[in-house]
Amino acid sequence: MVDFLTLGFLQRAIVAAALTGGLCSAIGVFVVLRGLAFIGAGTAHAAFAGVALAYLIGAPPMPLALVFGLGTAWITGLLEERGRMKLDVSIGIFYTATMALAILFIGMMKTYNAEVYGYLFGSILSVTSEELQMTGALAFLVVGLLGFFSKEFFFLAFDQEMAEASGVPARRFFFLLLTLIAITVVVSLKIVGAILVFALLLIPPATAYQLTSSLRRMMLYAVSIGVLVSIAGVLLSFQFDLPTGPAIVLLATGVFFLAVAFSPKHRPKPALS
Amino acid sequence: MAHPHPAHTHPHHSDHQHGKPLIRFEHASFLYPHGPALEDITLEIADGEFLGIIGPNGSGKTTLLRAILGLMPPSQGSLRIFDCACQELRCHHRAMIGYVPQKRSVDPYFPITVHEAVMMGRAGVIGLWRRTGRQDREIAHHALEDVGMAEYEDHPLGALSGGQQQRVFIARALAQHPQILLLDEPTTGIDTTTQHTVMELIQRLHEDLHLTIVLVSHDINLIAPLAERLALLKTRLYAVGTAREILRKDILAQVYGPQILTTDQGHVIVADHHHD
Repeated sequence: MVDFLTLGFLQRAIVAAALTGGLCSAIGVFVVLRGLAFIGAGTAHAAFAGVALAYLIGAPPMPLALVFGLGTAWITGLLEERGRMKLDVSIGIFYTATMALAILFIGMMKTYNAEVYGYLFGSILSVTSEELQMTGALAFLVVGLLGFFSKEFFFLAFDQEMAEASGVPARRFFFLLLTLIAITVVVSLKIVGAILVFALLLIPPATAYQLTSSLRRMMLYAVSIGVLVSIAGVLLSFQFDLPTGPAIVLLATGVFFLAVAFSPKHRPKPALS
Repeated sequence: MAHPHPAHTHPHHSDHQHGKPLIRFEHASFLYPHGPALEDITLEIADGEFLGIIGPNGSGKTTLLRAILGLMPPSQGSLRIFDCACQELRCHHRAMIGYVPQKRSVDPYFPITVHEAVMMGRAGVIGLWRRTGRQDREIAHHALEDVGMAEYEDHPLGALSGGQQQRVFIARALAQHPQILLLDEPTTGIDTTTQHTVMELIQRLHEDLHLTIVLVSHDINLIAPLAERLALLKTRLYAVGTAREILRKDILAQVYGPQILTTDQGHVIVADHHHD
């Protein structure tokens, strides 16, 4: 069992899984609490359209993925803020439009390009040291900002209007949050793919939500669950020759249902006087 | 519509033993996308005063509070808070205004403790670059003591009753160490006994902490014994004065219509009893 842990590619995969699992779960706490679940899906698919365009025109994929991801996150945020459109509607439109763009760009390619599909489903076992370093640096930046401004982000997640009224520049923090979501999605895209990144944003925080009645403990639990299920998923997939992404998602889903079943929140409590 | 007669009473603060005006509306109008929210408001609220805002459903009471918070700049006229135009109200000014919004149902499963909810009141006060520390935790604890909720500090907020949650939100506003406390329908959705407990608490905070209080309520009878002045609002400011001056059938009928009744005991009965 321990022998295969000496394999370089597997070590990198485990570190990548821990980093993306922890990073997505940390930002995912605010995604879940602020009701931005589909921002993750919309941003991930918009970023994938950016990757497809980059491969079509021969440009580096990450910058274009970031432009598409940030553009989608900011425009949907603006539409929601100005009350022009409900978030689920605008995200639904961007989700389908950017997927249509991605399919269009892939269709315009002269030859089949397997690398593009790697961004849809992820390729965690082929992560390079350079990709790992970039992921680590951006994870440090995102988690650092979330930690430093945690009091503002938690207030925003609980009640944005009250935060603004109490002297917190909540609108700026809302757009900073959208920016950090977009960066997280783009950073995680190569490693876990557009589909799995959405699962990691949602499932570990939703599991933690079941287990605690404290904001700070929810963050702690979500990051721990995200890191552990991601590492366990990689090890299981290697041991039993399973696809890594589905192994992580299904394991996280199993833990989520266990948490729902044993959640202390659903136990009857005596009323407080 | 009957033309307003603000001259019944004087909109400026004059007869009370209070400090300088903290809030000044001068012919201020506020717009919603679909039309006027408030028109031609002239009103001064002095340091240490307790002002009650009354008016029927949709009369702009909440808008008036949102304007004081600097969330809605006037389309015409001016509004100055702490001698600062409301458009220029900075975060540190806002942190000096405690706000208890109209009660919204708190998701009973939202993961937040009473302590965490009250600590949020410190976020605007200490600014972006400072983390909360021991002193902030002590301030939050004292605020909970002030509203009689210290023993619930570690409880989930969602597990509390409506009245207890409202006291926690008052504690959150107090944790800001505000100069002005704005309360929007603080007794809505709670039982009658608890309503009186909450109003007594607000009165005690006004007296003990010398807070300037602006309280919006649809319940005239609950607010009238406590507020030093009442402002009668229905898009325009119809009258400002003491309860004795305002709670007259001829004045109230201007905004509530002829269905308003006043009893010999000074109670007011509004037939259509909605709130804003």
